[in-house]
Amino acid sequence: MMPLIYALIVGVAMGALIQRVRASSPAMIAANLRLENLSIIKFMVTTIAVGAILAFVMNALLGPNTMHFDVKPAYVVGVLVGGLVFGVGFGLGGYCPGTCVVGAGEGRKDALMALLGGVVGAFFFTLVFSSVIAPMNKLLDLGKLTLDQVLGLPAVGVAIGLGVIFLGIVYMLPTVVKKG
Amino acid sequence: MAQSATQAPPADGSSKLPAWAKLGAIFGVVSALSILTWGPIGVSGTYPRFIGAIFRRLTPDLAHANPYLEKMGSLIKPETFLLIGLLVGGFLAAKLAGDKAAPAEYPHPSETTTGKRYRDAFIGGFLIVFGARIAGGCTSGHIISGITQLSISGMIFAAGVFATGILTAKLMHREAK
Repeated sequence: MMPLIYALIVGVAMGALIQRVRASSPAMIAANLRLENLSIIKFMVTTIAVGAILAFVMNALLGPNTMHFDVKPAYVVGVLVGGLVFGVGFGLGGYCPGTCVVGAGEGRKDALMALLGGVVGAFFFTLVFSSVIAPMNKLLDLGKLTLDQVLGLPAVGVAIGLGVIFLGIVYMLPTVVKKG
Repeated sequence: MAQSATQAPPADGSSKLPAWAKLGAIFGVVSALSILTWGPIGVSGTYPRFIGAIFRRLTPDLAHANPYLEKMGSLIKPETFLLIGLLVGGFLAAKLAGDKAAPAEYPHPSETTTGKRYRDAFIGGFLIVFGARIAGGCTSGHIISGITQLSISGMIFAAGVFATGILTAKLMHREAK
């Protein structure tokens, strides 16, 4: 029961943050993907940096099995193909599966269309999963691989290092890029 | 009170962080607390679970015969409540900030009518959820939560998303010229 309530609270906070930073604006997403305005990309990189440092420092302090880590398997072909398909939809519609829900909450009508497209896409996916997707996703499956395993270094050190590098990059990058 | 147009922080060190930095840092805290209390944030899996819930009502036999719907399971999961939260959070943030009715935006020059915007949003919505389900996660599950957990899959997914995302957005901008 409690996880459902925690998830609801996290969702409300996440929805409000996405709305305030204008990640639920398809025009803003398109400007970011055209690399004219980097505010949403910098927002995401900051989120990852702060989240990684906090999560792994908490993990080191609280001991193993306290944090609910859940790493997704790296089946290289399927993850890359999925990302490439996702990117086309992201560039065209200007929404993510989450931001279109936020956009619907703030009353954007095209967000409802994206949400509907997503429901139809999910339905179509269930029809082709066994025949097409499942076999593809068996290719080059590296399992639940993480960067600290690849580097052979302690996770908390890698998280802090990656976080500092990410924060350095977003600090140096301009937010509004002048068009050449 | 002067609003600084540049990013340079004032010399006295009392720099007012830009919105992306402040909101991003708060989201980072929320994301870590999510992993502490129940698990990493993720959105796209709820779409097929919703399809499963409908099919179990309408045609239970068909629903149980579908391996993907069986694999994804019931809607009674934290992720479903996260999604309800997104809807509420978006509504409340817009209302509390006193935003007027959400603007109708046309991100690409080729979207000359509302119908064309709806078409692009629908096709875009189809592709993001279809692509996310191939990969096993979306912007939240793979990119935010994934890279936060140092996962290689999240980094591969992000590379794919930005490769075609940037290409598509730039091509859509060129089209109308």
